[in-house]
Amino acid sequence: MLDFILLSTHLPSSNLPYLFAAFAVSWVVLFGYLFYVNRRQHEMKKEITRLQKVLDQTPEEE
Amino acid sequence: MANTQSMERSDSLGGFPSIKTILALITGVMMLVDLYFIFMVAPTDSVLGHVQRVFYFHVPIAIVSFLAFFVVFIASLGYLMKRTSKWDAIAHASAEIGVVFVTLALLTGIIWARPVWNTWWTWEPRLTTTMILWLIYVAYLMVRSYAPTRSKGAIYAAVVGIIGFIDVPIVYYSVVWWRSIHPSPVVGPFAQADALDGTMALVLLFSLITFLFFFAYMVAERMELRNTEEALGRIRFTLRRRGR
Repeated sequence: MLDFILLSTHLPSSNLPYLFAAFAVSWVVLFGYLFYVNRRQHEMKKEITRLQKVLDQTPEEE
Repeated sequence: MANTQSMERSDSLGGFPSIKTILALITGVMMLVDLYFIFMVAPTDSVLGHVQRVFYFHVPIAIVSFLAFFVVFIASLGYLMKRTSKWDAIAHASAEIGVVFVTLALLTGIIWARPVWNTWWTWEPRLTTTMILWLIYVAYLMVRSYAPTRSKGAIYAAVVGIIGFIDVPIVYYSVVWWRSIHPSPVVGPFAQADALDGTMALVLLFSLITFLFFFAYMVAERMELRNTEEALGRIRFTLRRRGR
C-alpha cells in the first residue's frame, strides 16, 4: 500500500493542476483581450451613432 | 452618416461574411481540433508527463509573438518611409497583440517551470531576454499613448518598433549562445532533426497554424477598432468646428 502511495505521488499526472492552469490562463488572457476590444468597439459605435444624430441636427458651417 | 455607413460596409460585403468572420470561424474550429490533438493524439512525454502538453501552447504562442514583432518592424519601416496611417495601424495592432502573446508565453512558461524546474522564475538568458522583449513593447505602447500628438506618437513608436526588434533574434539565439536550464530550440535553424517525436512535431505544427489564424483574427479585430476610433475622432472634430 505504501509503495502504491509513493508511486502515485510521483506519477506525471500529479502535475495536472499546472497543465490546467497553463491552458486556463491562456484562454482567459486571449478571450479577455478580445472581450476588451469588442466592448470598446461597441461603446464607440454607440457614441458615433449618438454624435451623428447631434451632427445631423447641427447646421453646417458657412 | 457616411462614417457609420462605411463601418457597416466593412462588417460584410454584399451579404457575404467579412474576412474577420471567416477568420473567427476557421480559428474556432481549428482551436477545437487543436485541443483534441493536444489531449487525445499527442503522446504523453515519458519524463515530464502530462504537463509537457503545455508545450503545444507555449511554443506556438512564443513564435507568434516573434512574428507579431516582425510585422511591427516591417510596418514601422513602412510608416517612416511612406507616412501613411495604414502602416501605423498595422504596427499598432500587431504590437498590442504581440504584447498579449509574449505575456502569455511568459505566463505559460512560469507555470510550466514550477513542476519541471522546481521554481516559478529564474534569471536565465532565455527568460531574461524574453522579459526585456516584453518591456520593450510595453514601452512601445506607452510611447504611443504619452506622445503629445498622434503623429508624433506614431513616429516615436515606429523608432522603438524598429530598434526593439533587435531583441527578437537575441531571444531565439539566447539558448544557443548561453547554454542554461532552458531547453534548446525545437523549431528553426538550430533545432535538432530528432528533437521531437513525429506525432509531437505534427501536433506542434497544427497548433502553430491555429495560433497564426488566431493572430490574424485578432489583428483584424484590432484594426477595425482603430478604424472606429478614427471615425469617432473625425465626427468629434467636425462637431468642434461647428461649435458643439
